[in-house]
Amino acid sequence: MTDQIKIYIPKETSACSVGSELIAEKITDLAQGHKHISIIRNGSWGAFWLEPFIEIEKNGNRKGTSYLNKKISHLSSIEELFDDFYNSNPFNIMDIDFIKHQTRLVFSRIGLYDPLDLNQYRNSHGYKGLEKSFEIGQQQTIDEIKKSGLNGRGGAAFPTAIKMQTVLDQESTIKYVACNADEGDGGTFSDRLIMECDPYSLIEGMTIAAYSVGANHGYIYLRSEYPLAKYFLTEAIKILKSHNLLGKNILGTNFSFDIELRIGAGSYVCGEETAMMESIEGKRGLVRSKPPLPAIKGLFNQPTLINNVITLASMSVILLHGKEIFSQFGSGKSVGTMPYQLCGNIKQGGLIEVPFGITLNEMIYDFGAGTFNEKPIHAVQIGGPLGIYLPAYLLNTPLTIEALMDLKGSLGHGGVIVFDDSTNMALQAKFAMDFCAVESCGKCTPCRIGSVRGVELIDKIYNGTAVKADRILLEELCETMETTSLCAMGGMTPNPVRSIIKYFPNEMIV
Amino acid sequence: MNIEKIIEPYIEIQGGLIPALHAVQNDTGYLDIQSIKTIADGFNISTAEVIDVITYYDDFRLEKEGQYIIKVCQAEACQSLGCRALLDTLKHHFELNSGETSNDHLVTLKEVFCLGNCALSPSVMINEDIIGRASSEKILAYLSEKKNNSNND
Repeated sequence: MTDQIKIYIPKETSACSVGSELIAEKITDLAQGHKHISIIRNGSWGAFWLEPFIEIEKNGNRKGTSYLNKKISHLSSIEELFDDFYNSNPFNIMDIDFIKHQTRLVFSRIGLYDPLDLNQYRNSHGYKGLEKSFEIGQQQTIDEIKKSGLNGRGGAAFPTAIKMQTVLDQESTIKYVACNADEGDGGTFSDRLIMECDPYSLIEGMTIAAYSVGANHGYIYLRSEYPLAKYFLTEAIKILKSHNLLGKNILGTNFSFDIELRIGAGSYVCGEETAMMESIEGKRGLVRSKPPLPAIKGLFNQPTLINNVITLASMSVILLHGKEIFSQFGSGKSVGTMPYQLCGNIKQGGLIEVPFGITLNEMIYDFGAGTFNEKPIHAVQIGGPLGIYLPAYLLNTPLTIEALMDLKGSLGHGGVIVFDDSTNMALQAKFAMDFCAVESCGKCTPCRIGSVRGVELIDKIYNGTAVKADRILLEELCETMETTSLCAMGGMTPNPVRSIIKYFPNEMIV
Repeated sequence: MNIEKIIEPYIEIQGGLIPALHAVQNDTGYLDIQSIKTIADGFNISTAEVIDVITYYDDFRLEKEGQYIIKVCQAEACQSLGCRALLDTLKHHFELNSGETSNDHLVTLKEVFCLGNCALSPSVMINEDIIGRASSEKILAYLSEKKNNSNND
């Protein structure tokens, strides 16, 4: 009898963006009629420069190699494919530093198997976290999250357990859990990766959250730019319903919970929690003023727990392993691991989950291997479009919530974008204001009009027609936006602008 | 399919207007005034209220767009590897500005901010396919292959 051979071909957006689907078609053709070969569409390992990363498992030995620059259209048999594969020095992904040096807690399953294979999920401790939560009860579940030190991973880093406690303490009979999957920050993809490569962990976390606060209905608000994530979530929800892991009396308890997937429609500000609620309610995504807090009066005026994808997926991990799995790492607000997303002009970009505290240098050189085009680094933007730009001489900055706050920035959702020395920083400053002008919901004046004035002022600096008074005006404009905007969109747009004025003064000369 | 049938399941659910708009647009390609009136009737709101929501969101279209909607990411990670120049090249090639549709309704060119493929920049999305490490050559090759395939069908 011939041994079983498994061929893994990732079905994940980044892998597909560089040809994974075509390879899958070709290999499926070649494997036809060979009963001992099975093709598995796994998730991605998050080492995107290797994609499409094809793996073959033979006799329990799993190895892979990058097919980015390999042609396979000429191959005429599966044997030829195997020869070609084993001649290109395949290796075990676990052996490369990029993966070996990570501490993957939340992303422990990505890449391993078909993300919709529920047996595999359950065999790798899936739903043990929810069982634990049912066993210890609502309050103790929240206490466990509290002691783990988990803060929201969406960008604001608010203590997760405080929100949960507030929702639990509300008397209302109707409560909601809303998962914010509107991952709009440029340079971020960790939410997408969880949804495409381990959707069950998100849904398990959401179920834990719902049980602990007493909510029976949940929404996932997913951005429309993620069609593959939509596919995986839709399928995952269907499968879980048919296995009694969503719906009535989950796992034989008297707890019932349903999830509805809602697709956004191309608005950045709908990632802000109150705008997201408006959008789920079927309205324009205008920001609401707070109070009332969503935890007290949220969706459809009911208490609503709103969390980011990674925050919810982290709950599964914390309940499964116990609070120490997070609390053992880091200090202050920066506790646990953080899934950083290294991208832009970088050789080895991807998902890097490590304990808080890694420096930019370590991230960019040890993990990222320097710039993609070998040019010197000029700037790094951290935390999305509302994040600051740091110059090359500050690459020793540790990527913690506190360190970024000290620099008047924000770690945000953990995106790190590298720029080379051909970058025009005045243009980047102008883009910050321009982005705000395009994406502002328009409800408050400092954001709606301030951003337009900001574009005009920076344009003058860029064109060399600015006078001293314009520089003062820009400072005042930044201050007005910061102090009087309704939400972070207008309030933090000045951050990248100010960082460029401060760290790249020669490129913003008046 | 008729619009009333399409929106029926969404009238029942809380906040069903946006899913209903998506469903209609997926079916008809864009939201014309007749569909908007039917949706307004179905949800028992005014057409102005429906248009109010439609015009807030970039995804909803009031006019017919191209068979291929080309979204060129203009966010920061893609900026770091030349997405501005890529957009200029495509504008020049198609003789279109951002947001415009070619006269033959084959191509619509759009700027978007972040497709979540930031480690393989620059990124372009054509309908639901994402192209990483995008170049104008890659995009034009993709389009001509699609056109060939549809001619052969």
